[in-house]
Amino acid sequence: MSATGKLVSVRRDWRERDVRVLLAALMVAVATVATIALFASQLQTTLVSSASAFLAADRQLESENGQPIPPAWFEQARTEGLKTARMTEFSTMIAGGDRFQLVSVKAVGPHYPLRGEIEFQSALDQPHQMVKQGPGRGDVWLSPRLLQLLSVRVGDTVDVGNLTLTVSGVLVREPDGGFSMSALAPRIMMNVDDVPATGVIRTGSRVNYVALFAGDESALKSFHQWLKPRLGPSHEWKSVQDGQALSQSLAKAERFLLLGGSLAVLLAAVAVAVASRQYALGQRDTVALLKTLGVGSRRIGQLYVRRLMLWGIAGIAGGLLVAIPLYGLLSQVVASALDRPLAYSIDPMALTPALLTALVSLFGFAYPPLRRLRTVPAMQVLRSQPGEAGWAAVIDAGIAAFAVFGLVWLYARDISLVLSLLGGLAVLLLVLAAVGWLLVMALRRLSGGGSAWRLALLALYRHRRASLSQISVFAMTMMLACTLILVRTSLLDDWEAQLPADSPNQFLINIAPDAVNDVKTFLNERGADVDRLYPMVRGRLTELNGRPVREAVSKDRNVNALNRELNLTWMDQLPDDNAIQAGHWFAAGDKTGVSIEAGLAERLGVRLGDQLGFTIGSQHISEPVTSIRTVQWDSMKPNFYMAFPPGGALEAMPATWITSFYLPPSRDQVLNEFSRRFPTISVLSVGHIIDRIRTIITQVTQAIETILLLILAAAVTVMAAVVSATLQSRQREGALMRTLGARQSLLVGSTVMEFALLGLFAGVLGVMAAEAAVWALQFRLFEGVFRWHWTVILPLPLISAALLAILGRWQLGPVLRVSPMLLLRRLE
Amino acid sequence: MTDTAMTTGTPSQPMLRVSDLSHRVDLGSDTLTILQGVNLEIKPGESAAIVGRSGSGKTTLLGLLAGLDTPSEGTVELGGAVISALDEDERARLRAQRVGFVFQSFQLLPALTALENVMLPLELGGLDAPEARARELLERVGLGERLSHTPRQLSGGEQQRVAIARAFAANPVILFADEPTGNLDNHTGQAISDLLLSLNREQGTTLVLVTHDEKLAERCQRHFNIDAGHLTESGVTPA
Repeated sequence: MSATGKLVSVRRDWRERDVRVLLAALMVAVATVATIALFASQLQTTLVSSASAFLAADRQLESENGQPIPPAWFEQARTEGLKTARMTEFSTMIAGGDRFQLVSVKAVGPHYPLRGEIEFQSALDQPHQMVKQGPGRGDVWLSPRLLQLLSVRVGDTVDVGNLTLTVSGVLVREPDGGFSMSALAPRIMMNVDDVPATGVIRTGSRVNYVALFAGDESALKSFHQWLKPRLGPSHEWKSVQDGQALSQSLAKAERFLLLGGSLAVLLAAVAVAVASRQYALGQRDTVALLKTLGVGSRRIGQLYVRRLMLWGIAGIAGGLLVAIPLYGLLSQVVASALDRPLAYSIDPMALTPALLTALVSLFGFAYPPLRRLRTVPAMQVLRSQPGEAGWAAVIDAGIAAFAVFGLVWLYARDISLVLSLLGGLAVLLLVLAAVGWLLVMALRRLSGGGSAWRLALLALYRHRRASLSQISVFAMTMMLACTLILVRTSLLDDWEAQLPADSPNQFLINIAPDAVNDVKTFLNERGADVDRLYPMVRGRLTELNGRPVREAVSKDRNVNALNRELNLTWMDQLPDDNAIQAGHWFAAGDKTGVSIEAGLAERLGVRLGDQLGFTIGSQHISEPVTSIRTVQWDSMKPNFYMAFPPGGALEAMPATWITSFYLPPSRDQVLNEFSRRFPTISVLSVGHIIDRIRTIITQVTQAIETILLLILAAAVTVMAAVVSATLQSRQREGALMRTLGARQSLLVGSTVMEFALLGLFAGVLGVMAAEAAVWALQFRLFEGVFRWHWTVILPLPLISAALLAILGRWQLGPVLRVSPMLLLRRLE
Repeated sequence: MTDTAMTTGTPSQPMLRVSDLSHRVDLGSDTLTILQGVNLEIKPGESAAIVGRSGSGKTTLLGLLAGLDTPSEGTVELGGAVISALDEDERARLRAQRVGFVFQSFQLLPALTALENVMLPLELGGLDAPEARARELLERVGLGERLSHTPRQLSGGEQQRVAIARAFAANPVILFADEPTGNLDNHTGQAISDLLLSLNREQGTTLVLVTHDEKLAERCQRHFNIDAGHLTESGVTPA
């Protein structure tokens, strides 16, 4: 290889510590972004498709008006490349043995379910199995409770209308056995082609016809576009994202991944900047020499740009080499936990952000210090020249700030997140610098202790500029890593708190007013704790400020709540998991007003004081909005869009009552007893929904832990970059001190203490800043409640001190091993 | 290009001409005068030594003569080109073509081998067969066996010999040396002086060196003394 070729070879560069750090940081940045991008898109698909199982499809179209969905619509969906299935739901009496029972029938076509599986038993004493198809013609599956209620067994027959069907299995759980107030238990599942023969469905029957669709997101969208103008008021288009219980958790997880990704990129960028600056300082002599040898500044600029490109290629390749297996591993974990084969595919588009990150890191953070090498005076070969001018550093900082802004935006695509993150960082950096400066100044007055202590404090003071920048960088690193740990902890706690082990898993619907007390007594006697029953009136929102609501609300807002009956309630106390966002809750004696759920209010554009008109049966009531409240939909408790005061207009309407409670799975027989005692009350078991959400949260947690690891790797590269930056001068100093007769123990003691102090300061500042950041983020992003995190606040500064002490001891190694003369010569 | 073109000089035309050169450094509140009213002419092929105490301005003067820096006042002409009027890149081109350097602290690139260090200016100047020329020079300075050694594996004297080989590599018409024996013991310094002067004669190069080493200075044809920024010629030794 030629000498100049060698000067620009990455292999040779690799021997330089700063380049190694820079490349490592670049690799971490690329690996983080690539892993998150690959995994997030995959996770999104997986979670959505896993959540799709709640619909048994990607989208559902429900027709509530008793009119079947036109075959042409299915035809169109198939033309668009979608898979379709249909089902029909209705209630009827069935006869089995010598008993009758009102059941909710789900009649499914041969392709049901498009997503998810049906949990099934071939008999009550047989193991559960997952099947991908419903019963064939002539067969029917009954829920376990129904088998007991009717006293029939698998192999017996039941009569559905005019048709006799053979019980061929036990329906344990439907993939879309979701949460719907209108669902009536107990359930039977039969073949949709048998329905006409039953003769049950006549004109005017209450029947829900449901079309299921699954396929590409783009095909689904285009089909929906086609479908929209054809939909009538009784049609409801459902997608997973509308499922409130899951979407809140998913959105939080997604934000966390984005935040984590941005922070990792920031950390890595800091490492790139520090390492590059250090590298550039080390290159000043070489550049000066090249200039004396006649190389022009243009050529020098080109030399370093070429070098940057080579580093970029190496960093991208290395990062991808880390990211792709890591992504594979994560996919594997998720696949095995969700018990589904996973499409492991690398979308080249998902890698674009990683490539951009590498380029931005290189040209925003690594290039500015190298750019200034062009201006190194040739005179530097003869005599050390003054370093860079102050304004040059300001320009660098400007370029870097712009790059940070671009990177985080590229990644989070949320301008307010970017601004709050960067604004926060800038303020924190200033505060950190100020506090750090005060600390260092205070050190000047400190003395005493052993001589190693004094030396350590002296060293901190003597190198105060370096100490300050180190404290700032360490503190920032601590802050970013700590923020993420804290947000993760509180996110997980939050989820855990939302779904405690005794989350209600049973809903009782359709309780007649005169049965309320009996139900309470019945359940309380059997140890099931029912704390609150809510009245429920079904009604439609029909008017907004005296105008028909469909006219008053813009057509662009596709508000499902307008397409169906809402559950209205009255109550005197605000439920624990609701919070007033605007207005005030009903005072004792209030008889008018309505409280609306915040999300719906926003979708409808409803404000305090607006007059809402409801049609309930044939009656009409109208009330002003007196409060807007948030509702925790994933709390598994009865929740309502609209709440009225007790004793008001709503109370005059015919109501049924609803409640939820927790029943340990081992005590399922209570439900059978309950159904026999209260045959008209519907029991809805949602235990499996809770299980599902728990599984998904576990997956997301695993993803978050992995991202956290990458972020810690980024933090380590920053530490390495900063320590490496002063390594040479510290080693020279150590060698000199040994030459001057310092004992090894003194040298080790003072160095370890110096670094431990740096780590402690940085740790304390970082943790404080992190708490502030978490406080802000908690409000803005995660809608959680702020708590102090003592379990993190207390140990982290100590860990940071220990970590840096170890780093300090490590970098002292050569000073102790090699003779000082040799070292001095080597460092010459 | 014409303004940077440089002749090899003729006896009637000096290789190096300095007129009324002054150099000051701005210290913020104060200005420090380092060189004052320096005039100097050196003919092609001559060897000149500049001696003076530490801090007298020797190294600054050398830097200005070689075009590594520009003076506050006055002009420096190198082979007919007014280098004090050229911009940095033009001066760089001129250095690449005609100027060689030897430094007190050798200034070898630690990552490159001896051979590669010598090849560097040849490659930068786009000269043919850089490796053969570099080998030849390293043989000439007695390091034929050490071609693949890096600076760290070489003694101080050996490193300076590599630096001298590098300085002569691109056939410079003028060579500047800053304390070439300053970091070496007497014996090694003597050997380095011999090498520098003999190569200088062989190649017909003009040599300007700054030194503390009186013996080395005496071996040059012309002697200058610098004191508090003022340059005076103290004597001429016949060639």
